[in-house]
Amino acid sequence: MAGKSGRTIANTIDKPWKKVILSWEGVLVLLFIAINILCIAISPVYNATNLLRESPKYLAEMLLLFPMAYLLLLGEIDISVGSIVCLAATMACMASNAGVPFFGVVCIAIITGLACGAFNGFITIKFRELPTMIITLGTQIVFRGIAEIALGSGGSISLTDSSGFKLLNGKIGIFPYSFFLIIICAIVFTVIADRRNYGRKLYAIGSNAKTAFYSGIKVKQTILIAFIVIGVFAGLSGLFLTSTAYGANTTTGKNFEMDAIAMAVFGGVSNMGGKGKLYGAFVSAFTIMCLRIGLGQINVNSQVILIILGLLLICAVLLPNIAGMISAKKRTAK
Amino acid sequence: MKKKLLSGLLCAAMVGTLFVGCGSSADTGATEDAGASTESTDTASTDAEATTDSAAGGATGTYALVPKSAGNPFNEKEADGFTEAIEAMGGTAVVQYPESATADAQITVIESLISQGVDSICVAANDENALQSVLEEAMDAGIKVCSVDSSVNKDSRAVHCNQAGVDEIGLALIDAVYDISGGEGQFAILSATSQATNQNAWIDSMKSYMESDSKYANLELVEVAYGDDESQKSTDQTQALLQKYPDLKVICSPTTVGIAAAAKVLQDQGSSVKLTGLGLPSEMAAYIGDGDDFSCPYMFLWNPIDLGALGAYTSVALVNGEITGAEGDTFTCELGDYTVVSAADGGTEIILGAPFKFDPSNIDEWKEVY
Repeated sequence: MAGKSGRTIANTIDKPWKKVILSWEGVLVLLFIAINILCIAISPVYNATNLLRESPKYLAEMLLLFPMAYLLLLGEIDISVGSIVCLAATMACMASNAGVPFFGVVCIAIITGLACGAFNGFITIKFRELPTMIITLGTQIVFRGIAEIALGSGGSISLTDSSGFKLLNGKIGIFPYSFFLIIICAIVFTVIADRRNYGRKLYAIGSNAKTAFYSGIKVKQTILIAFIVIGVFAGLSGLFLTSTAYGANTTTGKNFEMDAIAMAVFGGVSNMGGKGKLYGAFVSAFTIMCLRIGLGQINVNSQVILIILGLLLICAVLLPNIAGMISAKKRTAK
Repeated sequence: MKKKLLSGLLCAAMVGTLFVGCGSSADTGATEDAGASTESTDTASTDAEATTDSAAGGATGTYALVPKSAGNPFNEKEADGFTEAIEAMGGTAVVQYPESATADAQITVIESLISQGVDSICVAANDENALQSVLEEAMDAGIKVCSVDSSVNKDSRAVHCNQAGVDEIGLALIDAVYDISGGEGQFAILSATSQATNQNAWIDSMKSYMESDSKYANLELVEVAYGDDESQKSTDQTQALLQKYPDLKVICSPTTVGIAAAAKVLQDQGSSVKLTGLGLPSEMAAYIGDGDDFSCPYMFLWNPIDLGALGAYTSVALVNGEITGAEGDTFTCELGDYTVVSAADGGTEIILGAPFKFDPSNIDEWKEVY
């Protein structure tokens, strides 16, 4: 039955494949296929090689998607990740330029992300009455501020030795490394969310934090872990982003948080918590990426692409709600 | 069952809307692309001719321009100049604005242009170094790369089209401050973003003139404020400067967005602080004049239409093999004869000319132009 989010469409299903197709995730898969057909039709250069060649920036963004989906499932949000990406990238570049070996650079980026994430999480669990939107709005400004101070008046740093980062930017055939990383992340995060203890806790807390607490779930610990995980992935994202630009600047990672949230919400993860599937977010991320690349290739104005994405997102949020409203009316009429 | 049907219909409607929505742009896009692909085969044949007859100045390929951001009048005029020059030579011009004024957004756009297989990319960089990786990829794919207005580093380009020598601009600006302030007192700079390549170079040049020449010893630079090339932020920064420094005499804003915002603030408040810098005549005409009613006695700029056109001629010359971007290369175009010279960053550049002064005597004539 149409629940709080209205995502579930039918309650009695006689044919399971129908349930899959009529679920939001099923619709997304169809949409993904439709968009790819559309892109092939409109752009003569839309093929796997070009798609994957243009993908690294989007893949770096997608690293944030799964941990962001976890936070949304919890009913929390983190809008500081773009700034964490910037700070981690800045620290990585500075360390690399100071002669730290590449393994050390990777560690520094991840530790920077971890520390920022832990800071967000710590404030969130210590002051439960504060909305995380406001906390992370604050840290968004703080983290980017630190990065800007570190970058100095030039506002930009470039790698003197980019060999290590070039390694990270490598490819197997036409597939960039980050593509495989995303696939692995998608599987691991989905399995944890659907099959493991931690995943059940996420959904329980997101549905009703008080009930979860009185059922003996360690709410604060669960939230802290989610924030630390997103911090670590922001650090990783910063590394991959640096490898595509050989440097960092004050606008690195700008708007990444909003893109990650948009991809998750479009994928059916409710920002109110407790609802949504990780594989939906995964499919939606690739749908958005293909659409952006396809439209970009036929020189559709970038601003127009943003408008199309915005409208799609609104449709995605409205659609299940309208369907839910109509079916609810039908029921009362009966 | 009805519900299923209903949601199915809604989904279909959504996908349908998407198709229709993209359909209109897709049509024009597809025809353009069809045109482009036939033209690129043409280019192959003209390229062959060009090698045998290098004096051929025509253009038949697709030439791309990536400006800094949309909604910036200077960039738009530059794009107009670029498009006009390319089309006059018979080529196809593609102008792709990034979604925001960041290097990341420009990377996305350039990646897309590489996929399309354009013949040349001319870019006004939002960050000097961040585009290196993607531009190297473009050059590896056989695309000719030059920068215009705001340069990319020397490893990322064949040649840079400079609007005016850095030192010529620095000197013009510091002399204007000296002249307007009466030779002494406090002045502030209202710049674009803190990492804007050209603004930083001009400001550094102004500072070095102040240090090296005792003529400027009584001038005091109190602050370099950053309005990020956003009208509202530039307005706020101007007001903050006025509050912080009551003795301020002159504000110098070497960016078109900043100077327009500052001019409005100063004139609306009837402030005694005067303004100079680099601005668009059409936007600044209301503020340029003698006496206390006007905030700006005079300012400078070059012609963005000519600059865009220079980018276009350079792109074509690179694609036709007339120049390679090496120092000493020369080529002739509608604008005149140009020589590739070495640039301060170790690469090479082509200089459009000295900055042009706009004062009450000529502003009425120029405000109609751009």
